Amino acid sequence: MAHTENRKWLVRPAWEDMVRKTTFLGVVPLLAPVQLLLLVVVILPSIYVVWLSFHVSSFGQTPEFTGWSNYLRVLSDPAFRSAMWNTIVIVVVAVHLEMLVALGMALLFNSGIPFRRILLVAVLAPYAVSEVVAVAMWRFLFDLDIGPITLLMQGLGLPILEWSFDPIDATVMIILLTIWMHLPFTFVILYAARLAMPSDLYEAARIDGATRMQCFWRVTLPLMGPAILVALLFRYIFAFRMFSEVWLLTGGGPARSTEVVAVYLYQEAFSYNAFGTASATALLMVAASLVLASGYIWLLRRQVKNAR
Amino acid sequence: MRAEIVLIRLGKAVAVVAILFWSLFPIVFIVSSSLKPGQDIFAVPPQWTFQPTMQHYVTLWTQWGVFFQGLANSAIVTVGATLLAVIASTCAGYVFSRHAARWLELSIVGLIAVRLIPPIVVTLPLFPIVNRLGLADTHLVLIILYATFFVSLGTVLMRTFIDQIPRDLDEAAAIDGASRLTILRRVIVPLAAPGILAVAVFVVVFAWNEFLFAFIFTGTNAKTAPLVISEMIGSIDGVDWGVLFAASTVQLAPVLIFVILMNRYLVAGLTAGATKG
Repeated sequence: MAHTENRKWLVRPAWEDMVRKTTFLGVVPLLAPVQLLLLVVVILPSIYVVWLSFHVSSFGQTPEFTGWSNYLRVLSDPAFRSAMWNTIVIVVVAVHLEMLVALGMALLFNSGIPFRRILLVAVLAPYAVSEVVAVAMWRFLFDLDIGPITLLMQGLGLPILEWSFDPIDATVMIILLTIWMHLPFTFVILYAARLAMPSDLYEAARIDGATRMQCFWRVTLPLMGPAILVALLFRYIFAFRMFSEVWLLTGGGPARSTEVVAVYLYQEAFSYNAFGTASATALLMVAASLVLASGYIWLLRRQVKNAR
Repeated sequence: MRAEIVLIRLGKAVAVVAILFWSLFPIVFIVSSSLKPGQDIFAVPPQWTFQPTMQHYVTLWTQWGVFFQGLANSAIVTVGATLLAVIASTCAGYVFSRHAARWLELSIVGLIAVRLIPPIVVTLPLFPIVNRLGLADTHLVLIILYATFFVSLGTVLMRTFIDQIPRDLDEAAAIDGASRLTILRRVIVPLAAPGILAVAVFVVVFAWNEFLFAFIFTGTNAKTAPLVISEMIGSIDGVDWGVLFAASTVQLAPVLIFVILMNRYLVAGLTAGATKG
């Protein structure tokens, strides 16, 4: 035994070099595909977007340096402000509603219901549905003349969603649609977190005389805190870039009133050929989603810590 | 006490029915409506018993050849993007799992940070470049774009899954004289298959359904099925709902069946991706 140890120490066999040592040449070829794709498709273009945002540019023209003027122009554009406001409203309302529903569902699933596996698959189903098909469903179900849900609401004497000309109703439609599409994601993350919680904690809490409500506030919620934060962070970031749902459902209309930031960006770039202001919009979009996400996460994290 | 239990059971049953209705009603509705004859689609209240007909599918087949071309394009792009993303992520995930160095740590942080950039942002600079390279309206551009937006998550997922494979196996194979690529192919890939399937589910669902990139970068040749459906929705002479439902059903069915079959890997991928990435 001592003999082999010694030999290993003196002459390191070739296989060991290969498996254990991190050599540049050994590792880089395997990393190259991922790094190349990201470099060419994401990183270099993003740097170019930063550069573009400080220039005036449109097709066939030589870009001209303009300092912050693109940013000023975007920020003072009422259409941008309305788009930013719509985005924030949709993100805040949709993501939190979705989180509450998903949390409730995760607890329900965990509380012992029959056919759990089949139900889980049913809940996952909307994950497979494309934005385009989801919009087709929504447009028909809520069609003002023939939509079954509209007719049902009318029949029950309830107010209907006049989404094709009322901006608020259109926003409600977008929120419903986006929750429908993303609930599977949020639910799976919360349900997995709930499943991973040790059950003896509850026994201990029960023995100490905790009520159901106390168990929820003092045990369940703090322990699920990290999963909730992660799910929120993902959903903020993804909801902030929402494009297809809005574009296909309302096209940003009526009269640009339901545009979100990504739709505004698309219009600037591909309808008005203003790549400079579109780039400034893009950076403002990334910045705003980061600020919103980190702000909420920071607040929640503090609350989770305090609750413990 | 007994009454309370009954009430709780009842509440749960109501909640379960509500969840099922919310998740499945739109899907069931669209699929069943695609089989309803003409005016039955608009019947009030909706008819649940009807003589199923293939008439909308026949119309789709005879009048919307472009839709089936779109399906073929979607299939090509989905297969290409999935292969590219899975291969690239597995190679990189293997390195990140087996090696530790400061620059590797930095590069994985970069990998995660890249995900903060929304896809629409990169369309701005890529649009003129893709045009100039003559790549506009090709399958290749969509394959590259779709794969790229999942290699970051894919790499992190693959690292998590490969971390669970004991290193001793790599070393045993190395002692037997296997090269790094052989180890990857013969040891890692078979054992990391659940991870590969998880990554594949993500990419397949994304690439099959994606709208934004297809909308911006394709026109006629590489137009994908979702794009054709969006044209049906937006058609000026009024929407032919029956045909739209038939097309939606055809587009949805394969990916829905895929997600149902792969639900285990989807759940594993979602949870691993959210906690580790």
